[in-house]
Amino acid sequence: MRKHLRQWIDTRFPLTRFVKHELTEYPTPRNLNFLWNFGFLAGFMLVLQIATGVFLTMHYKPDASEAFDSVQHIMREVNYGWLIRYLHSTGASAFFAVIFIHMARTLYYGSYRVPRELLWWSGQVLLIMLMATAFMGYLLPWGQMSYWGAQVITSLFGATPLIGDQIVIWLRGDFSVGDATLTRFFSLHYLFPFLILMLVVIHLVALHTVKSSNPSGITLHAKENIPFHPYFTIKDFFGLGVFLIIFCAFVFFKPEFFIEPDNNIPANPLQTPKHIVPEWYFLPFYAILRSIPDKLGGVIAMTLSILVFTAMPFLDRCKVPGGAHYRPVYRVMFFVFIVDVLVLGYVGANPPGGMLTTAGEIATFIYFALFIILPFTSQWENRLLARKKDLPEEALRLVREEVMEQYIDSSQEDKQ
Amino acid sequence: MNGPQRWLAGALLLAGSTCGHAETLPLADVTLSSDADTVRRGAETVVTVCMNCHSLKYIKYRDLLNIGIDRDSLNLWKGDKDLNAPLLSLTPADMARASYGKVPPDLSLITAAREGGGRYVYSILTGFYTDKDGNTNNHIFPGIVMPDILGYSFAGNKEEQHQIEQTAADVAGFLLWAAEPTAGFRIKLGSAVILYLVILTALLYLWKRRIWKEVDHDIENSIRES
Repeated sequence: MRKHLRQWIDTRFPLTRFVKHELTEYPTPRNLNFLWNFGFLAGFMLVLQIATGVFLTMHYKPDASEAFDSVQHIMREVNYGWLIRYLHSTGASAFFAVIFIHMARTLYYGSYRVPRELLWWSGQVLLIMLMATAFMGYLLPWGQMSYWGAQVITSLFGATPLIGDQIVIWLRGDFSVGDATLTRFFSLHYLFPFLILMLVVIHLVALHTVKSSNPSGITLHAKENIPFHPYFTIKDFFGLGVFLIIFCAFVFFKPEFFIEPDNNIPANPLQTPKHIVPEWYFLPFYAILRSIPDKLGGVIAMTLSILVFTAMPFLDRCKVPGGAHYRPVYRVMFFVFIVDVLVLGYVGANPPGGMLTTAGEIATFIYFALFIILPFTSQWENRLLARKKDLPEEALRLVREEVMEQYIDSSQEDKQ
Repeated sequence: MNGPQRWLAGALLLAGSTCGHAETLPLADVTLSSDADTVRRGAETVVTVCMNCHSLKYIKYRDLLNIGIDRDSLNLWKGDKDLNAPLLSLTPADMARASYGKVPPDLSLITAAREGGGRYVYSILTGFYTDKDGNTNNHIFPGIVMPDILGYSFAGNKEEQHQIEQTAADVAGFLLWAAEPTAGFRIKLGSAVILYLVILTALLYLWKRRIWKEVDHDIENSIRES
């Protein structure tokens, strides 16, 4: 019966072929470490955010006079509404945490390099869309920080030369953030996740064309690959279990950790909070914005700080296979970059002034300097490693095996 | 608004405006609990004292039954209001604005909306003092408009002070409950969820080890060979 059903489907839709090609026979490098779990986790977070979001929408009211109350209605009167809301609000932070680790892994292991540029760039667009979605979603609870955060960020677009003021009005639907802004942000906050979902499919198609990179950075020969299912399905599910323990600890025991106290005060256009801070995942970029004294300059620097990752395949001229593991200079630069981003985050979280402003300026300089010097350091690294003649032992072993395999293959073909 | 009330409001506003420069002290270092008894005791103070001026619009009278307030007290507090009516202040908003210059903040979310949460509420209530000019002020919120309703600044002796501190802790405990009535259940459910996930993850780990056994074996061999 099952066989018949499968045959019936397969003559009409390539189900068996699809499962074989993408799962049970999809070749995956067997040396992937736990950092390769985070793509799957990001996918899980997207599904969780969409699922909880759909249920929140059933009870939420996108109206400036009702939005705040409707969130409290969800928290207090809707069955398990508090759980759905905390999953969603904590989920936003978890999503960014996962994406940042996913990106850091790509940078560390050089997974953005040939032939994975399109995979990396589709990820870049996904990041920007995720940021837009998170930013618009943050307005919906209509608390003080929601309101003033949106007010500040939308006003940034006013720095656009000539048509700045018109763009701000166009974004807000009004002269200042108000009901019109709330309704349009709600509409787009519901739309964007589905656009993200579509782009994730493209991201995965690109991935399955070029296949996963791996810690060695060498395209492994068939021998080193194992099917995705069952090896990586079980590994991903185990990773998901570990992730869920941490995630649920926040959802159930510290959900307010990711909610600013000011956002429990209903939005009040007449009263500016003492200190407007964006959510933690925007802090490094916010610090870069504030470090440039000129408004337009700040906006350009902030935009560049996100878009600059796109240039990585061009900036990195190193031919050494593998990631930072085999590249002493790049490895130092990578960790300087991570520390620098953390410093920027700290600066962004605190009111500007004195030492912090200086620290922010220096950190902003280092942030961009690292990208600017990369073409030179990576070429220097080429020469440095060429002089050493030898690649690290692990890399050499893989190359040797690769050559051997090809030799065996070709000799077998000759026999035939 | 009658004469004495207007005078009181004016006096309070004046007191507030002259004392705007006093130092802000750090919040009191207390551990607050929102166990059933504390919340019940706090409810009484909040409904009979605080609600003269403040509202708790997200709490309904019916919710107070859930924390174990008996029906007689509840009927006394709510008068002829419906059981599903929200806990609204006795002073209408426009009257409050006229006497204090602002509407006293709604207390349903106050512990969630202030840095320090319950400790903030406790510290404000026990932060009142009489300055050298004889005006009442507050260490935590200099120039506060709210009067020292629990009477901490004019408590006669240590014992009386201690009693007020106890009441303040009860009020803070009740307001912690009011900010998120489901928090108790949330934590209980959370423990079960984490326990479940730990067991599930342990099983998934064992399952993974079993599936990967051959592959891991292979890798070990190839390392030994090279």
